[in-house]
Amino acid sequence: MAKATHSGAALADGLVLDIHDLSIQFGGLKAVEALSFHVKEQEIFGLIGPNGAGKTTAFNCITQFYHPDRGQVVFRARDGRVLDLVGLPVHDIIRLGLVRTFQNVEVIKELTLIDNVLIGAHTDFKATILEQALRLPRARREEREMRAKAVRALEFMGIAHLKDAPAGGQPYGVLKKVEMARTLMAQPKLIILDEPAAGLNDSETAELAETIRRMRDEYRCTILLVEHDMRLVMNICDRICAISFGQFLACGTPGEIQGNKLVQEAYLGEEEPE
Amino acid sequence: MDKITVQGQTPPSNSNPAARAFRNPYIRYILFGVVIALLPLLAKSGVMPSSFLVNLGGVLIYSIVALGLNLLLGYSGLISLGTAGFMGLGAYISGYLSGTVGLPFLLTVLIAIAAAAVIGVLVGFVSLRVAGIYLAIATLCVSEILRKTFEELDQFTGGFSGLTAGYPTLFGFKLSREATFVLLTAALVLVMMLTHNLVNGQMGRALHAMRGSEVAAQAMGVYLLKYRLIVFAIASAYAALGGALYMHFIKFSYPAVWILTLSLNILAVVVIGGLRSIYGTVIGALIVFAVPDLLLKRIPVIGGIDGIAYIFTGVLIILVVMFYPSGVVGIGHDIKRLISRGRKGGAGNG
Repeated sequence: MAKATHSGAALADGLVLDIHDLSIQFGGLKAVEALSFHVKEQEIFGLIGPNGAGKTTAFNCITQFYHPDRGQVVFRARDGRVLDLVGLPVHDIIRLGLVRTFQNVEVIKELTLIDNVLIGAHTDFKATILEQALRLPRARREEREMRAKAVRALEFMGIAHLKDAPAGGQPYGVLKKVEMARTLMAQPKLIILDEPAAGLNDSETAELAETIRRMRDEYRCTILLVEHDMRLVMNICDRICAISFGQFLACGTPGEIQGNKLVQEAYLGEEEPE
Repeated sequence: MDKITVQGQTPPSNSNPAARAFRNPYIRYILFGVVIALLPLLAKSGVMPSSFLVNLGGVLIYSIVALGLNLLLGYSGLISLGTAGFMGLGAYISGYLSGTVGLPFLLTVLIAIAAAAVIGVLVGFVSLRVAGIYLAIATLCVSEILRKTFEELDQFTGGFSGLTAGYPTLFGFKLSREATFVLLTAALVLVMMLTHNLVNGQMGRALHAMRGSEVAAQAMGVYLLKYRLIVFAIASAYAALGGALYMHFIKFSYPAVWILTLSLNILAVVVIGGLRSIYGTVIGALIVFAVPDLLLKRIPVIGGIDGIAYIFTGVLIILVVMFYPSGVVGIGHDIKRLISRGRKGGAGNG
């Protein structure tokens, strides 16, 4: 839980996340340098950049897999508290309502789809280990309620008919949906999707775009998208932040980003002076 | 034994109430226990040699211990070669307290479990720093330290010459060998049910997540240290329970029993029987701890080979790892599938 030092951070109304002056370096390499941007409530926000731009590093700094050297990550938790995430233990982040997916899908092959989804509700179980071992009423009730919730999340993703199938052997597209259903179990305030379109074909990407919008609308959460697929980003994002070599390039609507000289140079290289 | 290899929740169907009741995992565990508890009758009536009962009682004890290792290795992906040490700890604590001190049997078992769980927690702290082969070495060291302690503390343990105990006394009744066997069965069924509940709930999923990917588990809010401590404590507690029961069933314990060979045999039980399978663990214990003594040694020529049990276990491990990585419980599933396919094929032809 948040310590006293993390409270007292300020966040303007209508914002859910405010990154300020975020910096981290590995050895001499400045992976992210003085990065600042903010994300509004219930928007779909894209974080883009060429390979090695530091997108994943930035987002590992947000979720506290890395503890940044400098800067603040101010977040409005699902209970309304505003706090700076920097320095919090990784496993405490999800219970604030900040949940992520993984670039190379992390599901447990030996478990069924519904059990995989239930892992997303891990921090919301109140029954102690002893209550679970003896299957006392509270443990039974929680398990039943969470299972019903997990079925709804799987239905939302359109894969409820597969709920009792083992995750091993399922197609990649289904596993991606399982991961997204899992994020919905955490009463999410902000969902960070790490390259959700990677490995999907055109029709699957179109379906994904629709799903992301529905997640935002029906679960009333904010989506932060770290993505390579430009069509997806330009199609669904309300605003986009572009970075390159760990540095902020531009932030704005898809149209503004497409027209931005710096962004074009970062992706296509500078024009040769004649 | 084929009917008990059916595992997990099967989808409900509208068959008769008896079949529905049989599908309830708890009823299955109890039926399983009742069947085993009837074995002493077989021995009494002379159908089965009564010496078998000692071997089979051992199987029940090692099943309890191996279920603990299965929680570690199968579910959490953590290796331990320290099982024998914790079993010995349980045996000596329970044996000394019930014999010399004169405490009631059940109380000594509880004290043994608590002591082992505390040391297990300490090992859990180590497991956060070291993984894989280094964790195996670290747990082996803990086990060797315990064994050395058993040798040195001879005023408690009897040193090299060992410690003896009698059959347990429960609520004023001195149990016979047969009654103790039933007690072992009850303990095993209880442990199977507890394990079933733990692995099918929130904690079980957390252990799965931890084995699958530590990074993903943490992102889902699983506090790795907490679950490592808990799972090491439970595994050590199961081992100590097994040890305490061993002390009062085999009635004799000396340091040379609690060595690496025993830990490796219990590892073999889990690998052969089936990772993450509760019934598989019991079948594995039967294969590793009963088959060599009860069957192999009775076969002419082969039975005369020294160390036939080790050869048998070794060959089995290789075969299982190669062909049935999920353990011999997988064979049961395959046979069932073959039968149902055969039925379908027959119907199609006819």
